[in-house]
Amino acid sequence: MLRITCLFIFLLFARAGFAAADTTAVPVKKGVKADTAKIVKVPAVVKADTSAVSIRRFNDAAIKKYAAQPEFKYNEVKTGGLSWWTRFWIWFWAWFQSLFSKNKTEISGFAVFMKYFFIMTGVAALVFLILKLSGINMLQLFRKKPYSAISYSEAVENIHEIDFEAEIENAVAVKNYRLAVRLLYLRSLKQLSDAGLINWQINKTNTTYVTELTDATQREAFRRLTLQFEYVWYGDFVINGDIFKKINTLFSNFKSKAE
Amino acid sequence: MENEDFEQRTDLGQLSAAVEQIKATLGSIIVGQQHVINLLIAGILADGHILIEGVPGVAKTLTAKLIARAVDVQYSRIQFTPDLMPSDVLGTSVFNPQSTAFEFKRGPVFGNIILIDEINRAPAKTQSALFEVMEERQVTMDSHTYKMAEPFIVLATQNPVEQEGTYRLPEAQLDRFLFKVEIKYPTLEEEIAIVTQQHQQKTVEQVADVTPVLKGADIIALRKQVRELYVEPKILAFIAQIVHETRNNRSIYLGGSPRASLAIANAAKAIAAINGRDFVTPDDVIYVAAPVLRHRIMLTPDKEMEGVLPDDVIAQIIQKIEIPR
Repeated sequence: MLRITCLFIFLLFARAGFAAADTTAVPVKKGVKADTAKIVKVPAVVKADTSAVSIRRFNDAAIKKYAAQPEFKYNEVKTGGLSWWTRFWIWFWAWFQSLFSKNKTEISGFAVFMKYFFIMTGVAALVFLILKLSGINMLQLFRKKPYSAISYSEAVENIHEIDFEAEIENAVAVKNYRLAVRLLYLRSLKQLSDAGLINWQINKTNTTYVTELTDATQREAFRRLTLQFEYVWYGDFVINGDIFKKINTLFSNFKSKAE
Repeated sequence: MENEDFEQRTDLGQLSAAVEQIKATLGSIIVGQQHVINLLIAGILADGHILIEGVPGVAKTLTAKLIARAVDVQYSRIQFTPDLMPSDVLGTSVFNPQSTAFEFKRGPVFGNIILIDEINRAPAKTQSALFEVMEERQVTMDSHTYKMAEPFIVLATQNPVEQEGTYRLPEAQLDRFLFKVEIKYPTLEEEIAIVTQQHQQKTVEQVADVTPVLKGADIIALRKQVRELYVEPKILAFIAQIVHETRNNRSIYLGGSPRASLAIANAAKAIAAINGRDFVTPDDVIYVAAPVLRHRIMLTPDKEMEGVLPDDVIAQIIQKIEIPR
């Protein structure tokens, strides 16, 4: 009996062990005899538990009390609705990514436009950043003339476009001798420029024009005119009709000699 | 007055005579450098301080000493060294055991013409001691303010910054100098004249022989006269435009300040007076523009590396602006 019990326990554990470890079929090698031992079923002896069971239940009031406290609401996740602003950005970035997506097969004309719009904006921002960091004045970048905050009324005046005779007559008629002397001087400059004796440039001073004249007599005569002009125009010396006549004679003589 | 067709408004006789005398005095010792001498005289007449820059051996200190001796005022000299302290320049309070009180001992800066030799050999700490006295003509020490006597002129010499053992002066201090006058090497003819002159004189001390031409009161009177000279509004706008353009030029990192505009206007008046006129012409403005601006503007690092000089940029700026006419 003891042998049978031992065999039963051995087979039981052996069976369970094989079942758990490996279920693959193992080929039976030649010369190995199959186990032909019979399994003897032994009925288990189970006794019913007849001890008294006392059922303990949770205190409903306590559960409700604790459940009402937020600290104990472990499973509740405050999801809350996304704000319209967040939803907009989620939509925007999804749309933005779709513009540059390679997998998208159908692209509308508007999407293509927006795609290149964003590329151009990005490039412009990059260029702006580079220019800003390198300290280049963007106002001057595409200007041919230097940036100038001050404008002169004389700056746009071209001596080759002024009707000197008429303007001088007008100035003398209203006794604006100061202006008349200025016009006489500009006329002389035009005359010298037309004759190729000076190279008219807006940035040259009167002294420069005097030194440009090669003929000594003409240079001295023009230096004299320059002196008159500077006293009247830059020096703001009071000029009356008599002084103007003298100055006008000097300019007229210079004009006739230069012709 | 050069133009006799007009009535004389300002009597520049005394000024012209003094200028001629100073030129003659300096010209007898210094060969050439007429532009430098003109600017030094203009600086004194325009109530400005002058910075003289040049490589060693081009008579910077001699020129400054001569111009100082040509004026009969209290003259003092400070040799700037790397270990010079502000108190060595301004003065310091010393305890007097007899009176049991501190007494202020005035430094060498208390004078009329101060020659600061090799100004850029002292560090920024000492340079900053000059800020107040150069701009406000006063020294504040131990809660007392000591006013400087008029005229007060600082003549400073310096070697170019590239020279060994020199510091770059602070921008705030540079802005306080009316002119930065550059003394270049003499031409071959001038150098022959220098050697010949020195050989014939057979003497080293020349400065002691200089006779003062002007007194302190004369300078104050002449300065008042110069300040009252006429400047046409268009020329004032021309000055403002030159300085304004220095702030918009791509080659310039730091442009001229409004103090630079005022300096050009005052210096141009002085040059006009030296030339015997009581009004300013565009030539006067252009003449002083570079000496006034060259130390006030700061070129961009790339332009500095390219070897561009401030004078080149200033010339370009002026060439772009129309002469008021």
